[in-house]
Amino acid sequence: MGIKSAGLLLAKIVTEAGYYFADYSEYPSLIRGGHNTYQITVSPKEVFMADKKANLLIALSPGHEEDGKNLLKIPLSTMTMQLGGQIYANTISIGAICWILDLNRENAKNIVTGYYGDDPKNPEAFEIGWGWAGTNAKKNEIDKVKDNGDKGSIMDGNEAFGWGLFRGGCNFFAAYPMTPATGVLHFLAKNQDKFGIKVVQPEDEIAVANEATGASIAGASAAVATSGGGFALMNEAVSFGGMIGAGVVYFVGQRPGPATGMPTWTVQGDLLYSVFSGHGEFAKIVLAPGDTQECWECGWESINLANKYDIPVIVLADKILCESSKNIIDPEKGKVEVIKSKKIIPGSGIYLYNSYEHDEEGFSTEDAGIAKKGTEERLNKMKNILKIEKYIFNFYGSKTARNLIVSWGSTKGAILEAIRGNSDMAYLQIKMLWPLNKEIEKVIKSFKTKILVENNATAQLGKLLRSEMGIEFNKTVLKYDGRPFFPNELKEELI
Amino acid sequence: MTDLKSKIVPTWCPGCQDFVIYASLQQAIINQKIDIKDLVIVYDIGCIGNMADFLKVFGVHSLHGRSVPTAVGIKLAHPELKVVVVGGDGGVYGEGLSHLIAAARLNIDITVLVANNQLYSLTTGQTSPTTPKGAKTKSTPKGVESVPVEPEGLIRAVNPEAWVKHVSCQKPPEVTEAIEAALKHHGFDLLDIDQLCVSFGKQLL
Repeated sequence: MGIKSAGLLLAKIVTEAGYYFADYSEYPSLIRGGHNTYQITVSPKEVFMADKKANLLIALSPGHEEDGKNLLKIPLSTMTMQLGGQIYANTISIGAICWILDLNRENAKNIVTGYYGDDPKNPEAFEIGWGWAGTNAKKNEIDKVKDNGDKGSIMDGNEAFGWGLFRGGCNFFAAYPMTPATGVLHFLAKNQDKFGIKVVQPEDEIAVANEATGASIAGASAAVATSGGGFALMNEAVSFGGMIGAGVVYFVGQRPGPATGMPTWTVQGDLLYSVFSGHGEFAKIVLAPGDTQECWECGWESINLANKYDIPVIVLADKILCESSKNIIDPEKGKVEVIKSKKIIPGSGIYLYNSYEHDEEGFSTEDAGIAKKGTEERLNKMKNILKIEKYIFNFYGSKTARNLIVSWGSTKGAILEAIRGNSDMAYLQIKMLWPLNKEIEKVIKSFKTKILVENNATAQLGKLLRSEMGIEFNKTVLKYDGRPFFPNELKEELI
Repeated sequence: MTDLKSKIVPTWCPGCQDFVIYASLQQAIINQKIDIKDLVIVYDIGCIGNMADFLKVFGVHSLHGRSVPTAVGIKLAHPELKVVVVGGDGGVYGEGLSHLIAAARLNIDITVLVANNQLYSLTTGQTSPTTPKGAKTKSTPKGVESVPVEPEGLIRAVNPEAWVKHVSCQKPPEVTEAIEAALKHHGFDLLDIDQLCVSFGKQLL
């Protein structure tokens, strides 16, 4: 069983035991082998981002361990040979971890049994690990849980977003596989009958975006998922949707570029590209969820906004959000609004959806007056969005704090961890990045010291805020090596 | 109903064979008694695509080369609709060729009509995917180096079940008849309609 799958099993065990967790996985763009890691931070209090520093490390291949008095050598080769395959090394390790963390043996074993279904050797492997740790290891318990309430469902951002799309009434989804957003395609393809969503994988991203636009014209609630390179191919259709007034949701799981870049790593490098995507001047919305719960929320918010304004809506996630897991409120239960488009669709009237400049009936025109009016009508949607929509930002901390941190997207987790218990720091997380609401300016300008945190090299949100609102930051903290911010390193940067 | 003309008067050059396809398509729709409520026509960019303005049906004047995927999306989302694509050799066999092949492989029930004049004419006469090898055009004054795309053979090779036919605007009744046959056929169909551009075609003669 792969490291990620085993990691999720551990996440499930600690969640059932009443703990919160946040996880993070690193792997190369290979099908087999390479250096794969799964890390998880577990706590009785909500965890927003996994720590970089580990209290307990299991190394399954040589060279990753550090020598020291706390180094234990688990005879995994002998144990897995007994069980009939190296594949059981992960479950043996989980058995050992559960003993060391002092978790309930029976509960954990039941979860292992349920997780792997028919294979009886996994519970056996769990017992071997548990037993070995009992004789050879020392306990290293986590604080006990006081409130063992409902911790909802465990899922990654891709799945949470897929759930959100479904809850928002999405019934057409197209995608061409591209890491790290492929998980949305997998999840919706698997559930297409249950959800009643038409799911297709066309020949390329150009077809993906144009099929989704066609579906939208035909009355569907349509969405696509990709990463930066795929989104580049879709840009022509973003412009098409803006011109004709056909809403489509573009989910973009960012990964480091330019070009093919580092497919399995993370960055926030496509904000400006998204805001200015598509040739010509037209209205669009750019949203960014900050955690797994917000991936779900952005799923239905985005499809509703695409249908309400009949424009392209881009949702910017990244590898960390797409592929890290957390517990979220049961995605089937949360209350959700469903908005349908009011545009003319086949059967409801005669209209020409025209990629050329056009008049009210859709006929092509080069008339100066109509061209001006058409441009203004398309752009006026931005004014309505700013006037009506309340999905703008989250504010954490005190309005009288000395410093304000401003960020967007997945940096939220590390920031919330880094400022935990620090009353000097307030935090503004922008969720609607385009158009930018004036409320954002008010909040930021009310603080004396402003700190910008972005997981990119060029401070793209900073550029937007400066050009749109004249905001200058006192300090900018950037990271662009393919890795996310970890709480402790960010804490040091913020001092 | 006698025709499906919109209030816009066609802007094609006098004598353009796009008029033949325009009249034949209307006649075929009427003859086949297709309910206008169930019909969507997706137009590519180019002279023939300008038919978008001249017909009074639910239409989409899509992007250049993207008429087929737009039509596929409409059909997938709304399978009861009759979906017709009207494009030229540039959009359908050039910019959008991969989409045409994918739609033929899927054998999706759409009708693709291609006005094939072997030139990019709206942009004043450059080589297209079907221009004969050696032909001198504005963009290939030394002669075209590639062999032309042969649509019938190509689509048959991709999917033997797909319906493909070649007709010429020289024989208008055959064009109408072929469009009717294509509209009746279930599954993917491509009608390649040969024509000569009255303004720039003399380069090819």
